Amino acid sequence: MAITRRRFLEYSGGLALAFAAGRVLAVDPRNGKPKRTTSGFDPNVFVHVATDGLVTLVCARSEMGQGVRSTIPALLADELGADMARVTIVQGDADKRYGDQKTDGSTSIRNGYEPLRKAGATARTMLVAAAARRWKVSPASCVARDHAVFHGKRSLGFGELAAEAAKLPVPPPEEVKLRPRSEMRHVFKDLPLIDGPAIVAGKATFGADVRLPGMLVAVIARPPVVGGRVSRYDAKRALAIPGVKRVVEIPTPKPPYAFQPWGGIAVLADNTWAALRGRAALEIEWDEGPNAEYDSDRYRITLSESVHAPGSLARNTGDVDAALSKAARVIEAEYHVPHLAHVTMEPPAAIARVEGGKCEVWAPTQYPQEARTQAATTTGLSENDVQVHVTFLGGAFGRKAKSDFVAEAAFLAREAGRPVRIQWAREDDVRHDYYNAVNTQLLTAGLDERGKVVAWRLRTAFPPISSTFKPTNQPSADDLQQGITDRPLAVPNVRAETCRADVHVRIGWLRSVYNIFHAFSVNSFIDEIAHARGEDPRAVQLEILGPDRIVTLAELGVDKLSNYGDSLEKHPIDTGRWRRVIERASEMARWDKRRADGRVLGLAAHRSFLTYVAVVVSVVRNGAGGIAVDEAWLATDAGTVVNLERARAQMEGAVIFGMSHTFHGGATMKRGVTEQSSFADYRLVRIGEAPRRIHVDIATSDGPPGGIGEPGVPPVAPAIANAVFVLTGQRIRELPLTLRLVT
Amino acid sequence: MCHRREARGRCALVIALVALACGCTRRESGEARKGGGSPPQVPAGELRSAESFAQIGDRAERSRALFAEASRVFLHPRCVNCHPDGDTPHQGMDQSVHDPPVVRGPDDKGVVGVQCTSCHQDHNLELARVPGAPQWHLAPRVMAWVGKSPHAICEQMKDPARNGGRALAQIVEHNAHDPLVAWGWNPGHDREPAPGTQEQLGRLIAAWVESGAECPSEGARP
Amino acid sequence: MIKLKVNGAVRELDVDPEMPLLWALRDVLGLTGTKYGCGQAQCGACSVHLDGEVVRSCVTPMRRAAGREVTTIEGLSVDGNHPLQRAWCELAVPQCGFCQAGQIMTAAALLASNPKPSDTDIERSLAGNLCRCGTYLRIRAAVKKAAGIPEE
Repeated sequence: MAITRRRFLEYSGGLALAFAAGRVLAVDPRNGKPKRTTSGFDPNVFVHVATDGLVTLVCARSEMGQGVRSTIPALLADELGADMARVTIVQGDADKRYGDQKTDGSTSIRNGYEPLRKAGATARTMLVAAAARRWKVSPASCVARDHAVFHGKRSLGFGELAAEAAKLPVPPPEEVKLRPRSEMRHVFKDLPLIDGPAIVAGKATFGADVRLPGMLVAVIARPPVVGGRVSRYDAKRALAIPGVKRVVEIPTPKPPYAFQPWGGIAVLADNTWAALRGRAALEIEWDEGPNAEYDSDRYRITLSESVHAPGSLARNTGDVDAALSKAARVIEAEYHVPHLAHVTMEPPAAIARVEGGKCEVWAPTQYPQEARTQAATTTGLSENDVQVHVTFLGGAFGRKAKSDFVAEAAFLAREAGRPVRIQWAREDDVRHDYYNAVNTQLLTAGLDERGKVVAWRLRTAFPPISSTFKPTNQPSADDLQQGITDRPLAVPNVRAETCRADVHVRIGWLRSVYNIFHAFSVNSFIDEIAHARGEDPRAVQLEILGPDRIVTLAELGVDKLSNYGDSLEKHPIDTGRWRRVIERASEMARWDKRRADGRVLGLAAHRSFLTYVAVVVSVVRNGAGGIAVDEAWLATDAGTVVNLERARAQMEGAVIFGMSHTFHGGATMKRGVTEQSSFADYRLVRIGEAPRRIHVDIATSDGPPGGIGEPGVPPVAPAIANAVFVLTGQRIRELPLTLRLVT
Repeated sequence: MCHRREARGRCALVIALVALACGCTRRESGEARKGGGSPPQVPAGELRSAESFAQIGDRAERSRALFAEASRVFLHPRCVNCHPDGDTPHQGMDQSVHDPPVVRGPDDKGVVGVQCTSCHQDHNLELARVPGAPQWHLAPRVMAWVGKSPHAICEQMKDPARNGGRALAQIVEHNAHDPLVAWGWNPGHDREPAPGTQEQLGRLIAAWVESGAECPSEGARP
Repeated sequence: MIKLKVNGAVRELDVDPEMPLLWALRDVLGLTGTKYGCGQAQCGACSVHLDGEVVRSCVTPMRRAAGREVTTIEGLSVDGNHPLQRAWCELAVPQCGFCQAGQIMTAAALLASNPKPSDTDIERSLAGNLCRCGTYLRIRAAVKKAAGIPEE
């Protein structure tokens, strides 16, 4: 990979302060104008060493709570040998030179690990070379650490070496050696939370926090039904609201919708309150469009019918039909998971300014480069004339990878001739989400006389993400490798099919995506098989997983597997690792003693985004006649983990995140309109529902890094459903389980 | 015992109650009776007027019927939701548990961080859909109405030990004019109001007091 | 004109008396530490102190704040050194951070009136503060740490 030199800008605003954990710089116009760096050393786009010794490290991935800003710079710094007390962190704008900035798919470390280490190592190599030259010694006899290069007792600070290093040729990556792990001082352990002080003081800049002179605030009345449009509208009353300045119609998008603005009528005002009041005063008639009859209850029936008939082949080994017909016993179950909404705490918001043929955007975006493209397309400018600054994201989970809200800001800024903040209200966020796909599955197992599973057929139906980008309702091979085609099953006859599911809403991706429902069904079904046989669910999990092995494509019955964009050589499906997380989680939970202790436990395990996770939960009845999760244990093997502390936090958070859709469910639609619109009807777990304890065990490993942000989620719902079965005798196959539970 | 104006009212109450207790139990019915009985029923959202009960000749029976009519207000979810017997208010026509989860607190005003007035203002908010009225708070536990019969509510309402030390005249005043009580008929945002109007309730309660403040029998329902 | 104190400073604002305090703080005064999460008093991200009591500023009209003292996260302490802010950093409580100002303001009011809260007290008082990232266990631990309650 070519690493190029680059000048980049350093922002003032309190730079002089240097906390132990490194100074945080959000890109924020309130902090003053950018000023050019002093001459320094720029071996690549990620590292700058100033002649005064201040090292600037770029985090080019978006910070949404997963801790990239606490992890990426630390990785660079350790490889380089920099002292974090003399490091300043800059959030990278949208820039192709950073490579892939898409912050989703749990890729920041697993894809960035080697390139980032190379970037840090390249800088180190050149500083060492500069020092060696000056001392006339061999580079091999020098060591870079503590922000300096040492040769025996003498040392030269990075700042002192910067000018000379800048004159040296940049070595190609193949010639740059990484440090042995033992020399990486801080990473692979707990790292400090860089942005903690700013967040707790209310100083972290999120999307809606950016303020520009002359800025207007816009809220949009969007078509209630996907595919709908404005038929007529009257803005008279809206324009009479004090503070309201303009009412603008947004063009109706043509499908496939991708990230186009959603259409509707925008009210622009000089403050948010006026804009909200203005919108409430609009009188609009809608032409509902083709999806006005969408009813998620009826659709549930449609999906059920779909999976009760054969579908397209996704995976096949042996002869499932023959094996089922000869089976001593057949077990069948249908599972359903509704649409899920992201409901990030921060509803989408973005700021755009279009003037002088240039567009500048500030946005909490997971995809800075795509946001830039979207803003360019919307304003008709070239991408070179569009700058996208990335703020903190108040949660994302996939919602802020879709830059429709950035396009809205850019469109309105151009229309208004003034900077515009587009502000989504909570109602907008719940009603107009890119929902995670709704799903129904039918699982059928044939057991022989000894109870061994000899046939396994799975049918799954869901409207796919690709429908948002092209006119299709067919899942892609990538979609299916989230829990269908990649799932090892020590069963001689396996077939998986995808069945038809038409699309009536915008489908997006939500933290672990299709794994949510595929892990729910498979882990619940294994549990059902275990109970049908009167056996320990953990034993049956391990039996169906099969012996320790690297799973081959032949065994899976597929021709290829995208394996989350990584090679199977580097990240094989290793059932030994899968087994060990199951054993570790159940050991932590004292699984074998559960009955003796009078505890009710449920277990589930899944591999997603190249990481293995097993979850055990303990459930109890609570005073209010409901069910509570009082404790959870999560064991994960994620290969090399750069920041144990944030990885642990992500796993803790994943348990709570999973509990929300397990207990409180998702989005439903009637007459094409989402029925939920606020936290009153799209409920989330609150502090009183959280378990007393969540125990997280992260396997020690020096294997290649796997994903961290998403893999904790999929096993949570089935672990809970499995525990609830033991507690109540009721097998819940549909989320939220509170809908079906008879208390 | 009868040395204060307030207590004199109580005296009268006690005497009336004793008289009642000594009387034989009467057949009680809120349904229309043939000739000289209760006034005809009205649709669910309306209240029968106090005057229309004048046709019930027997004073005590009229009194009981007036309270039974008033109890259609008291037992309406808009009112009973904030008269819970437990520690949390209810919400909605289905009387589900208040969300976000809140608790009564030592003064019926919630606890730190989630006091009633942390969220509820002095008037209804339409955009935010939060109901509001002056001094939003829970009725004290002794004034709980959830699961109570009209008879029990009546006894409670008359009892100074359980009605905040009020004389009957003050009960009339509270029902007829209290601004938080008023909210029941102006709940905002598509919420179904209590039947009738506050003015009508006030007149029903005044007529009830005037006719001796008799309580419906235990089994009586409006 | 509405006159009130915000973080110790007297301010006079020419705003609609029905404008929620949240928008006066954010849009007019530029105090963006207090967040908009729902506008319906459901999530608590907008929590501030009004004469020391927690209110959801997204639904509190400016006329209610007139003549009174508002404290926002920016005014909770000098330099972020309130015991809760320190505990929040020590335990690395925040993930995305968007809900945390509201969590801290509510917790601060709790500790001001109940210096040694139980788990139940904490859960009751913070019941109105949502966290989508799921940091609740650390929030609970940090409140106790700030209160000097030892870990179990």
